[in-house]
Amino acid sequence: MASLSEEVLLVVKKVRQRKQDGTLYLMAERIAWGPEGKDRFTVSHPYSDIRCQKISPDGKAKVQLQLVLHTGESTTFHFANESTALKDREAAKELLQQLLPKFKKKANKELEEKNRMLQEDPVLFQLYKDLVVSQVISAEEFWANRLGGLNNSEPAPYSNKQEVGISGAFLADIRPQTDGCNGLRYNLTTDIIESIFRTYPAVKQKYSENVPHSLTEKEFWTRFFQSHYFHRDRINTGTQDIFSECAKQDEKGLMSLVNKGVKNPLVDLLSLEDKTLDEGYGLKQALPSTSNTNKTVKESSNAAIIKRFNHHSAMVLAAGSRKNEVPADQASETSSTDGNSRDSDFFQPPVKKVKLQEAIEYEDLQRESKQKTVALNLKKSDRYAHGPVPLQSQKYTTSQDIINAVNCIQQEMAHYKPNLTQVREQNSNTFLPSTEMVPSDIQGELKHLYVAAGELLRHFWSCFPVNTSFLEDKVIKMKSNLERFQMTKLSPFKEKLQRQYLGTNVSINRWADDFTTGLLFFHYMSVLKTEIK
Amino acid sequence: MKLNIEGLLVYFPYDYIYPEQYSYMLELKRTLDAKGHGVLEMPSGTGKTISLLSLIVAYQKAFPLDVTKLIYCSRTVPEIEKVVEELRKLMEFYAKETGEVNNFLALALSSRKNLCIHPEVSSLRFGKEVDGKCHSLTASYIRAQRHSNPDQPVCRFYEEFDAVGRQVPLPAGIYNLDDLKDFGRRKGWCPYYLARYSILHANIVVYSYHYLLDPKIADLVSKELAKKSVVVFDEAHNIDNVCIDSMSVNITRRTLDRCQGNVETLQHTIQKIKDTDAAKLREEYRRLVEGLKEANIARETDVYLANPVLPDEILQEAVPGSIRTAEHFLGFLRRFLEYLKSRLRVHHVVQESAPQFLKDIFEKVCIDRKPLRFCAERLQSLLRTLEIADIADFSAVTLIANFATLVSTYSLGFTIIIEPFDDRTPTIANPVLHFSCMDPSIAIKPVFQRFQSVVITSGTLSPLDIYPKILDFRPVTMASFTMTLARTCLCPLIVGRGNDQVALSSKFETREDFAVIRNYGNLLLEMSAIVPDGIVAFFTSYVYMENIVASWYEQGILENIQRNKLIFIETQDAAETSMALEKYQEACENGRGAILLSVARGKVSEGIDFVHHFGRAVIMFGVPYVYTQSRILKARLEYLRDQFQIRENDFLTFDAMRHAAQCVGRAIRGKTDYGLMIFADKRYARADKRGKLPRWIQEHISDGSLNLTVDETVQLSKHFLRQMAQPFRQEDQLGLSLLTLEQLQSEDMLKKIAQIAHQA
Repeated sequence: MASLSEEVLLVVKKVRQRKQDGTLYLMAERIAWGPEGKDRFTVSHPYSDIRCQKISPDGKAKVQLQLVLHTGESTTFHFANESTALKDREAAKELLQQLLPKFKKKANKELEEKNRMLQEDPVLFQLYKDLVVSQVISAEEFWANRLGGLNNSEPAPYSNKQEVGISGAFLADIRPQTDGCNGLRYNLTTDIIESIFRTYPAVKQKYSENVPHSLTEKEFWTRFFQSHYFHRDRINTGTQDIFSECAKQDEKGLMSLVNKGVKNPLVDLLSLEDKTLDEGYGLKQALPSTSNTNKTVKESSNAAIIKRFNHHSAMVLAAGSRKNEVPADQASETSSTDGNSRDSDFFQPPVKKVKLQEAIEYEDLQRESKQKTVALNLKKSDRYAHGPVPLQSQKYTTSQDIINAVNCIQQEMAHYKPNLTQVREQNSNTFLPSTEMVPSDIQGELKHLYVAAGELLRHFWSCFPVNTSFLEDKVIKMKSNLERFQMTKLSPFKEKLQRQYLGTNVSINRWADDFTTGLLFFHYMSVLKTEIK
Repeated sequence: MKLNIEGLLVYFPYDYIYPEQYSYMLELKRTLDAKGHGVLEMPSGTGKTISLLSLIVAYQKAFPLDVTKLIYCSRTVPEIEKVVEELRKLMEFYAKETGEVNNFLALALSSRKNLCIHPEVSSLRFGKEVDGKCHSLTASYIRAQRHSNPDQPVCRFYEEFDAVGRQVPLPAGIYNLDDLKDFGRRKGWCPYYLARYSILHANIVVYSYHYLLDPKIADLVSKELAKKSVVVFDEAHNIDNVCIDSMSVNITRRTLDRCQGNVETLQHTIQKIKDTDAAKLREEYRRLVEGLKEANIARETDVYLANPVLPDEILQEAVPGSIRTAEHFLGFLRRFLEYLKSRLRVHHVVQESAPQFLKDIFEKVCIDRKPLRFCAERLQSLLRTLEIADIADFSAVTLIANFATLVSTYSLGFTIIIEPFDDRTPTIANPVLHFSCMDPSIAIKPVFQRFQSVVITSGTLSPLDIYPKILDFRPVTMASFTMTLARTCLCPLIVGRGNDQVALSSKFETREDFAVIRNYGNLLLEMSAIVPDGIVAFFTSYVYMENIVASWYEQGILENIQRNKLIFIETQDAAETSMALEKYQEACENGRGAILLSVARGKVSEGIDFVHHFGRAVIMFGVPYVYTQSRILKARLEYLRDQFQIRENDFLTFDAMRHAAQCVGRAIRGKTDYGLMIFADKRYARADKRGKLPRWIQEHISDGSLNLTVDETVQLSKHFLRQMAQPFRQEDQLGLSLLTLEQLQSEDMLKKIAQIAHQA
């Protein structure tokens, strides 16, 4: 067997694939099938490549299992063991059902990203078709340096889709229905559950702690609706409630929100009053707030309702704008890094100044001379101010390297012969002779080829300087890719052109020739570079 | 633009002007010319502050000898800062137009909490703590001790200021609180004392009411301000309550217990000093004999609170012999304390006047009136002699001494009420002695007497004539200005009935009525569906709001409202309410929309503006009458009737309506703003209530909208909101509610402007 180190989870014999008998293996990370009597797998799919599995209906004569891959291909296995076909298939299906989701998340994220990129960028999509679908280079190679670049950079602006908020009344929307006998039915949709989780993280935490280990999902929600937590204003149903902690956490959350204080000094009621009267002076009595004893039960339950509404609204609001909160939080962090609270004064004035200015502004008393403008959102303001700075290469080249390079160039130059006939004239800056003479589909095709060639060359050149064995392999592979591209794409196109538009498109021919000579030159260069290394 | 206000050149830092601003300046100038006092009501959001500042600054520049200083009093810290920012704008305009370097010094003064830059002291949370800590670092004897003991901590900022800060006056310029702090940090000077020192020679001072109205503070801070100052009280609709508050004292059993502790501590300290440094006490005694109580007047940092009585009531004689020695004074305090304790042991409510109280105390414990009057003074002297660092700890005994001085100084205008328990919880003994001032004119009288012009102004001062009555002064101008509008951007509606014809009212009899509560809920629900962004709803009291919220919750009304908007509710905890407020604004900002349930007379209704989308509708549930069963209020009403011939009902209605007007006025903050004002109580339709609303609201209440049902209200609101949502440009206003200089100079316009001001 190919790799014995892999853990084999399930072996099913007598499985046919493409009318061939064989054995199906479910391994830890892939599913494989090998024909009977042979010592290798002809079919092998990592689980992460599988989009879904399909099974034939129960009544059908053939018991089959189909795997649909993300690429769109599919592989069908026919369980041919007559007595246990169904059982075999069920076993395989069950196992796959457990395995696939684990890999799905990882795969999906990447895949979604790729999909999105392809959908949003038609040029890229065309390139993908030209290079990958026609198997000039493999998909992995194609994505290798694209995704990497994307993952590093910040999410592109267009990926920043607005998130849907939560309805303020989502709890009210869960209307219990009587189920005829003495019970209540609550209909929960995933949306509502999502809302509950986003608004009350404490409940989510409870959920992940208890489901499915100690409670089923249904039990969990039943208890939720029965709990004092949900009917907080009503009579307490007992303290052995798994949600009693949630209420405490909510309380804490509210406290921390309150303690965080407000950023806008104009709404800070604590610092509104300038000189409060000393205790004992003034008409109003000090509130007996500290002693809860003289509060009736009703009053305190009313206060709890009010608190709860404030908390609920704050949480709903926060859940809706959690994304935007991050930079704000960072800002506040920087301001609080300075230790004791009052030092944050140094940072406070900007907000305060702006708010004050806003408050005293009379827009209609001023001449509308200044146009209202949208603020420029700069990610790196210093870059905007100073312009692009050339990237300083991180690695220092040794003097030996430089001498070598200079020698090399000198050598090159000694042998260099300007091939003046091949230099393109300035005025024919495009290789298309004239657009009217060439039909648009040919033009399109030509464009694609051009872009594809560019892409291949980019890959090719990104391998230089060739200083690892991996890159060396890649250069060689890319060279063969380029050659293949010339063979499969360029030459047929050239021939087609020659067939259809004899003579009219000299420059295309010339471009194709250029490409070939260029290729040879690259080849030469690559060999040269390898030698340098 | 440059304006000519009856011969005075006024620089106005905007290109356009509202007609009412021009009219306001005219009236203001007449007040200043006459060197008298004025009462001016101008709608909020019509640029009252900038008009005031422009005119008074111009007046100061033109007649530097007649008006030397502007003292601008406002209520809250943000308000103070706003005023200074407007002033900065004006001064920048002056500099630009005249090309001269500004030679005005203007600054804001606030409590230590807002100005302190000492790293330790300023990190304390409460103003009182900051004051106490500051005192313990800067008191003169602390600093004297440092000479012998270099380890004694002092405030380096104050030391630095004391060493060099007074020699060079603060350079001319506009100093907001933050600017003062910056300046202080740069120089290493204490900004608080720098500001307190600089207000003496500043051209413009902006601070809060207390620095002028509370004798305990005013005597320290504002004593030496020039007579030829113009004093402005902005947002003055509540000025009578501020006056009363500053003169009233409450004493509970806890106060007395803490006071007892204070007295013990004093006793110990005296004993200690007697053993070690008897000369100090002898020196104090000698000083008191000679009446040299102000020998150390220059020590600004020593006194925490000055004498609670007004300066002209302070006796200019030596302290009587019976309390001159420290022990005798302590014995005196003990007796007084015991007497108060016995008074708090009553089982029924007692109400008496100050003379009655004095007679009783003389009969029971033989305490004379005269030593009582010196109590506050004597205590201060003792605390100073004993070199007590943290005076905040001695607040209880200071309170008692202040009470003694107050009760023996004023025989009229105060009442003493002793309640053995709170009316709501008759079973729990919680005796309180209220010594409450009933006459706001007592506290403000010295201000009217001392300064040549005092201007009282606000957005809601109606009815104008009541303020001169209760504050007991003769204004030379009284005017109310209307708001000229190119479009009616306010829409007052009175909802008197529910859809089921149930009369809506918060009056006591129907307060618990389910039908009324349900209809109120319906009103809010319907409004939440049609009003964009923010809605603010005010209830008459906190308890009432709690009950209504609870029953709305039970009836499922709140759930339905939540479908439209998020709900935030004011609580009694200020920090929690601040959070709710900020979240409310956030919800209005991001388009989700929110409702804020709040309380009239609460902090939100007094200090927070709901501009533009933060308040597209204000709903006033009920008429915010003050709690009429309170004995203090009853005593005050009686006093008003006897002394000023103001009927109880008139005053109550006036008080309720000014709060209602304050609440609904929160939504309109300018002519480009718009908002619904919904009065949800049928009693608003009555002429006596309606007539007490400010004119600028009153004139937009049509006869057709006096007794609407909820449905009709919704229809009218929809119509109004649709109209208001149309684009509103500057051109629409020009010539009507917004004037260029040329338009202002035309004859027609001047005639029209003359009609804006309504003399009361």
